[in-house]
Amino acid sequence: MNRRWRIALLGLAGICLTPAIWRVATALPRFGEPSEQYGPAVNRLGPALRHVSNMVSAVNFDFRGIDTLGEEFMLLGAITGAVVLLRGARGEDLTAKAARLPGRQVIGRAESTILICRLFSPAIMLFGLYMALHAMVTPGGGFQGGVVIASGLLLTYLGEGYRGWRRLIASPVLAALEGGGALLFALAGLAPMAAGGAFMQNVLPLGTFRDVFSGGLMLVTNAGVGLAVTGGFGMLFLEFLEETRATQSEDTR
Amino acid sequence: MTVLPWFAAAWLFAIGIYGIASSRNLIHLIGCLSVCQSSTYVLLLSVGYRWGAAAPIFYDHPPGTMAVDPVVQALVLTDIVVGATVTALLLAMVLQVGRKYGELDPQKLRPLVARAHR
Amino acid sequence: MSPALDLIPLAVALPLAIAAALLAASHFLPARLPDIVATLTALTVAGICAVLAVESDRHGVLTYWFGGWTPRPGVVLGIAFGVDPASALIASFAGLLFAATLVFAWGYFDEVRAHFHVIMLLFLAAMVGFCLTRDLFNLFVWFEVMSVAAFALTAYRQEMPSLAGALNFTVTNSLASFMMLGGVGLIYARAGVLDFDALGHAVARTGHDPVITGAFCLLAAALMIKAAILPFHFWLSDAHAVAPSPVSVIFSGIMVGLGLFGLAKLTFQVFAASAEARFLFHGLFMALGAATAVVGALMTRGQRHLKRMLAFSTISHMGIMLIGLAGLSATGVAGFMLYLVGHGLVKGALFMVVGVLLAACSRVDELELAGSGRDLLPAGVAMALAGLLLAGAPWGLLDAGARLVGDAGTSAAGPWIAAAILTGSALTGATVLRAAGRIFLGLGPVPDREEAASPSTEESEQSTRPLWLMMTPIVLLLALALFPGRLAAAAAPALVGRFAPVFAGHLHGFAFEPRSSTLAWVSTAIAVVVATYDLARDRLPRIAVSIIDRVTDLPYRMVNSVHSELVGDYVVWITVGLAAFSVTLAFG
Repeated sequence: MNRRWRIALLGLAGICLTPAIWRVATALPRFGEPSEQYGPAVNRLGPALRHVSNMVSAVNFDFRGIDTLGEEFMLLGAITGAVVLLRGARGEDLTAKAARLPGRQVIGRAESTILICRLFSPAIMLFGLYMALHAMVTPGGGFQGGVVIASGLLLTYLGEGYRGWRRLIASPVLAALEGGGALLFALAGLAPMAAGGAFMQNVLPLGTFRDVFSGGLMLVTNAGVGLAVTGGFGMLFLEFLEETRATQSEDTR
Repeated sequence: MTVLPWFAAAWLFAIGIYGIASSRNLIHLIGCLSVCQSSTYVLLLSVGYRWGAAAPIFYDHPPGTMAVDPVVQALVLTDIVVGATVTALLLAMVLQVGRKYGELDPQKLRPLVARAHR
Repeated sequence: MSPALDLIPLAVALPLAIAAALLAASHFLPARLPDIVATLTALTVAGICAVLAVESDRHGVLTYWFGGWTPRPGVVLGIAFGVDPASALIASFAGLLFAATLVFAWGYFDEVRAHFHVIMLLFLAAMVGFCLTRDLFNLFVWFEVMSVAAFALTAYRQEMPSLAGALNFTVTNSLASFMMLGGVGLIYARAGVLDFDALGHAVARTGHDPVITGAFCLLAAALMIKAAILPFHFWLSDAHAVAPSPVSVIFSGIMVGLGLFGLAKLTFQVFAASAEARFLFHGLFMALGAATAVVGALMTRGQRHLKRMLAFSTISHMGIMLIGLAGLSATGVAGFMLYLVGHGLVKGALFMVVGVLLAACSRVDELELAGSGRDLLPAGVAMALAGLLLAGAPWGLLDAGARLVGDAGTSAAGPWIAAAILTGSALTGATVLRAAGRIFLGLGPVPDREEAASPSTEESEQSTRPLWLMMTPIVLLLALALFPGRLAAAAAPALVGRFAPVFAGHLHGFAFEPRSSTLAWVSTAIAVVVATYDLARDRLPRIAVSIIDRVTDLPYRMVNSVHSELVGDYVVWITVGLAAFSVTLAFG
C-alpha cells in the first residue's frame, strides 16, 4: 500500500472506532471514583498480614509474587536476546573480553564532566542501593533501585572513559548477577515448598511494621529482583556502549 | 475531568499507531511503539486513582487511611521496567539493520526480496 | 493437600529455575550439558502436566493458590492456577514438542552457548503458565513472556532478512500485548477483581456493558494477533520465514495455537455470560475463520520459500480452528483441541523436514531444491505423509479434529463453511505434496509463473548433525499424530466439560459422533489431484493449463498484493480489524 492509501484506511478505521471509544469512555467509572474491591482489600489487610507499609511492594513481591517472577524472567529473556544479538553481530564469542581488542577511539572529556561524574556516580549508586533496601517502608524496591544503580554505572562511563569503565565492569560478573538474582527469586519461591508451604509462601519471620527488615520472604525476593535488574541493565549498557568502538573485523583490516 | 484520562489514553494509542503506520525511520517507529505502551499505563493508573486519597505507603500516615489502588501501580511498575528492556531488544535489532543494510526506512525494509520473473 | 497439587507450581518454576541456573553458569558449562539439561527439563514438564491432567480428571479441577493466599470471605487476594484436564494436556503437549525440538536442535546453536536453551526454557515455562493460570493479569504476564522469548529467538541470526522479519514480528506482537493490557485495565475498572471465577460472576451480573464488551474486543484482538487470524495474520509469514527451523517448529506447533486456546479459555471461563461476545463469535469470528482458511490456502499455493509456505498453511489451519470455536458448541471445542494438537504435531514435523533440507542442501527454496532430496528419502516420506494428513486424510488426531470442527461449523453456520474448511485443508495439503514431489522425486516442470516471482532468500543452517538424529523427532511427532482419532474423540467429553463449565451439566453420556469419512477422502483426493496437476503441468495440453491458470491467477494476485511485508501496513490492518469488531457490534 502506498502511504496515501494507508493513511486513508487508518483514518476510516479511526472513524469507525470513535463511537465505540466514546461509548466505552463514558461508561467507565468516573475518574477518581473507582469501583474496585481488590485494591482496597489489599490496603485494608496488607499491613496487618505482612507487617509492611509499602503496599505496592507487598503486591509485587508477596500477593502477586508469581507475576513478578514472570516479569523478572521476561527481563532476563529480553536482555539475553539483546546481548546475543549485539555480541553476535560484532563477531564475538560471548565470553570474549572486549577490552582486549585494539582500536579504541579516545574522545576528550572536560574536567568538569569528570569531576561531576566522580562526585555523583557513587552517590547515585548509593541512592539506588538505599531505594532497593527500603522496599518495604518507602516507595522503591528492587526494580527501581536496580535501574538507578545501573544508571550510576553509566555516569561512571561518562566520567572515567572507556578504559576506566571496562576496568570496573566485568561481563561475567554482570551475567552472574543477573542469572543469580533470577535464580534467587525462583529459589525463594521453591524453598517454602520444601518447608511444607505453598509456592512463595511467606514463611520467614515477618519483623515489625515500619522497619526496614520487615516482610519476611519479600526481602529475599526483593534482593533477587534488585540483583537481577542491576546485572541485566548493566549488561545492556555494556553491550550498547561496546557498539561505540571499532569491532574486531574492522580492526584487522 | 471525569472522562479525560480515558480519552487521553485512547488518543495516545491512536497517535502511536499513526506514527508507526507513517514512520520513515525505525528509531522513530520504536518511539511510537513506546507511546502506544504508555497509553496503557495512563489507562491503568487512572483506573486506580481516587480523589483525596493518599499513596498506598503507610509510613507517614497510619494504615486505614484512604489510599489509591496499589495493585495497578504494582502492575504498571514492573511493566515499565520490562518495557524498557524490550525496547532495548528492538533497538539492538534496529542497530543491526542499520549496520548491515545502511537503511533505516521501514517502507523499504522487506524480510524477503522478490526474485525476478525467470 | 494431595501431592499432585504441589506439582502445579513446579510445572512453571522448574524450567524457570533451571533457565536461571544455566544463565548464571553459562560461562563455565561444558558443551553438551545445556542440551541435555534442557531436554530433560522439557520432558519432566511434559510428564508433570500429564500427571496433572490425570489427577484433575479424577478429582475435578485442581486449584492452587500461590503464596498460600487462599481466598478470604468475599475477597480474592492472590493468584491461582486452575488445572483442568484439557489445559494440562495442552501444556504437556507443549513440553513434548519442546523436548522433540531440543533434540532436533542438538548442537545447532553452539555459538551462543547456553543462551538458546535459557530462552527456550523460558518460552516453555510461559506456555505452561499461560495454559494453567486462573488470573487475568497473570495470563497477560505469561503471554508477554512468550512473546519476548519468541522475539529473542527470531532475531538469533543477524542477516538482514532475519532482522527485518523479527522487527515486523516484534512490533505487531508488542501491539498485541498493549491491547491485551488495555483490555485487562478495562475489565478491572468495571469488575475490580482479576480472578477468572470472580470475573465470570462480575460479567454475569452486569448487563450489556460497553466496558466489558470493549475489554472483550481488545482481549480477543490481542489473542487473534497471536493466533494469526485475518486481518491480524501478516506477521506470521515474516517471522517464520526468518526464524531458525527449531524455532519455527515451536511457533507453528504450539505458540500460534495457544492464542486461540487462550481465546477459548477467556470466552468460556470469563465471558461466558456476555451476549455481545457470543454475537461476535457466531457472526464475525466465524466469517474471519473462514476467510483466514481461504486466504491462507491461496497464499500457500504461490510460495516457493518452504518456510513461508508452511507459515501460510499454518494461518489457514488456524482459520479452520477458529471455525470450530466460533460455534461455541461442545463439539466445536472438542474438535478445536484435537485439531490443535494434531496440527501442531504435523506442522512441527514439517518444519523439522525443512530443517533437514536446510542442513543437507543449504537451501530452503522449493524450486532450487528440485531433485536435491533424492538421498533423503525418509524425510521425503515424512513430508508426503504430513502433506496427506494436512489435506484431511482420515487417519489420526488431525482428522478427528477436522470432522468435529466441520460438524460444529456446519451446524452453526450452514453447509458453506464446509467449503472453506475443504479449501483450506485441500490446498495446503496439495502444496506440501507438490513440494515433496518436486524436492524428493524431482518431478515437476521448470517454473515460469507466479511462483518464480514470489519472495525467497538464500539460507543455510548448521549441517553437522547426523540425519538419524534429526529424523527421530520427526518420526515421533508423526507417530503421535497418527494416534487413533476415535479414542481421542471418546475422551473429549470429559475434557470439554471441565474446561468450559457452561457445558458441564450437558455432557453426561455425550459421545462425539464424527460424521463419515467421505469428506475426508474428498479433501485428500482434491489435494492429490491439485498436486498432480502442478507437477505434471508441462505434460498437459497448453490450452487447458492456460485456462486454469487464468482463472486461478486473479484471486491469488489480489491476495498477494496485500501481503506487502511492510510493518506500517500490518499496523493499519490491525486497526481495521478492531474497527470491524466495533462495526459488527454496532449492528448487533
